[in-house]
Amino acid sequence: MDIPSLLGKEVRWSRHRLVTLCFLLLVLPAFFATTTAAFGTVIPEDAPVGIVAENESVTDDEIALIKGGLTLFSEPRVYENASAARRALQREQVYAVLEVPPGLYDDGTNNVTFTLTVDGSVVPFEQPSKAIQGIAGGYLDREFDADVTVRREVVGGTHSLSEYLLPVFLLGIVMLFAFTYLPYTLARERDVLDRLLVESSLDAVVATKIGYFAALMLIPTLAFGAAAAYLNYSVTLFAPGAIAVLLLTFVYLAAISTSIMILTNFDTVGRFLNVAVLLAAITFSNLVYPVGFFSPVRREIARLIPLHYSMVVTRSLTLKDTPPSLYGDYVLALVGFTVLTLFVLKLSIERYKRTI
Amino acid sequence: MTRPTDDDRTGGDDHRNDHDPILALREISKAYGDVTALSGVDLSVEPGTIHALVGPNGSGKTTLFRIALGLTRPSSGSVDAPADGIGPGFQRANFYRDLTVAENLDVFAALTGADDEAWREELCSTLRLDRVRDRRAGDLSGGFGKKLDLALALLNRPAVVCLDEPMGDLDDVSKTNLLDLLTDYRDEGHAVVVSTHQLGAFADVIDHLTVLHDGAVLVDEPRAAIDLGEHDSLHDLYVARSLAAERDATGDI
Repeated sequence: MDIPSLLGKEVRWSRHRLVTLCFLLLVLPAFFATTTAAFGTVIPEDAPVGIVAENESVTDDEIALIKGGLTLFSEPRVYENASAARRALQREQVYAVLEVPPGLYDDGTNNVTFTLTVDGSVVPFEQPSKAIQGIAGGYLDREFDADVTVRREVVGGTHSLSEYLLPVFLLGIVMLFAFTYLPYTLARERDVLDRLLVESSLDAVVATKIGYFAALMLIPTLAFGAAAAYLNYSVTLFAPGAIAVLLLTFVYLAAISTSIMILTNFDTVGRFLNVAVLLAAITFSNLVYPVGFFSPVRREIARLIPLHYSMVVTRSLTLKDTPPSLYGDYVLALVGFTVLTLFVLKLSIERYKRTI
Repeated sequence: MTRPTDDDRTGGDDHRNDHDPILALREISKAYGDVTALSGVDLSVEPGTIHALVGPNGSGKTTLFRIALGLTRPSSGSVDAPADGIGPGFQRANFYRDLTVAENLDVFAALTGADDEAWREELCSTLRLDRVRDRRAGDLSGGFGKKLDLALALLNRPAVVCLDEPMGDLDDVSKTNLLDLLTDYRDEGHAVVVSTHQLGAFADVIDHLTVLHDGAVLVDEPRAAIDLGEHDSLHDLYVARSLAAERDATGDI
């Protein structure tokens, strides 16, 4: 009986917060989505780049030499074969793959062509990949007697920066809601918490609230979809996998923000803490730029943050024509992290019960 | 009733006699760090009674009240509460401030399984809540807020209601109406526990008096057994006994 009753209450509450909810769920998302049109260029910096031999006759020494050269302007990673390198490219483990041709040290070789493959959907890496193409070409030409050419090849569909930013901003809205509006409603719940604890349970209150707000996250998705249609963007926002990851992301973010609120006894300090976590998550998750932009340290930090993987999967499923199974391990890790955050939430609820 | 979150609360007996307590707190102690709020307190509430819990500020009334409701865990002791729960009325009105009065009643009726529309209407009428039914609860005056809180406590006709300062913020007419409501409720066989500073207001209706002082029970007697002695009223007796306990504690003559 608890859940439907509390759900009814949430709907009633939402009616009284219609203006706020409209602003947060419709106006703000639409504004964010529209502002993507104002973005046109990005800042190049070092990023993970894959190296793979074109065939088996490429020696380890040649690969090592190429790797040493790429270290100057990227974080090179050597892959065993082309399909592994391509997989890494699609999963944003690397942002370009340099294919090394055979015969670099053969006396009779006059011209060699390297291929630098980039993913067309990772728009912020378009300009840096051109820079890498130029720098790598100059470096390799100096190292080898033969004339070296680096050919740049784009795989997958190409997208505008505006399209690229759409899933980013959608995730931003989810983060904003989880770390600001949800804590606000929890703080308001404090007015009636004693009665709720007698008549129901904190577990039921929290579960209902998170479930209800997770469902509300479909509204900004619709708003983004409408904006994308209006702007004629080529983005599949309603991909079931992307929506599932978005909702999963909201659940673990909500579990974190709710835990913070409960651990701070629903105090204002909890709301400030949540805003701080929000800002940190935005800063360090590399939601917009590929990891490795700005600093190698941020690259390593981003790789440790689940939000980064939420972003990679959401972006990939909305922009690329890739099967969801390609990101199976990412999704599994996100599910595991969600379970962990829910466990922490449960512990914080138990702690609250023991301290009141 | 056994509350799953509360190890110290035990289930009520479905086969209790009329004079068996419907709510029993036994040997309750509660300490907050070095501060002892309650020390070995017993509270036994029988059905069909109005049980007043009085005491000066800091005597432990609110702590005992919260322990009875399962909102605070005792350091030791046990709570035997009725299976259908306790209707809580709070000193600081507890309801959704963003919902209207009617919506609050709807939400908590659904939550507690209160489906007696006639009773709900009677509550609203007696507490004169019908005139503010569509008003946002956060905009209510203190008196109407208290009335809404009381209505929510009584909504599902619980076997026991525990009301903390139920007269607070109420006007004299509303106080009279509330007393009538509570005595009728008592006469139907329910138990009413009131924690109050205003013993005088309840003097004519209470059946049992428990006085707390410094976390211990000073007086715990049925109203009929209390000898006023030289005092003119129950209120005067309570004040005199409390002052005497205060003097004993501080060593004043």
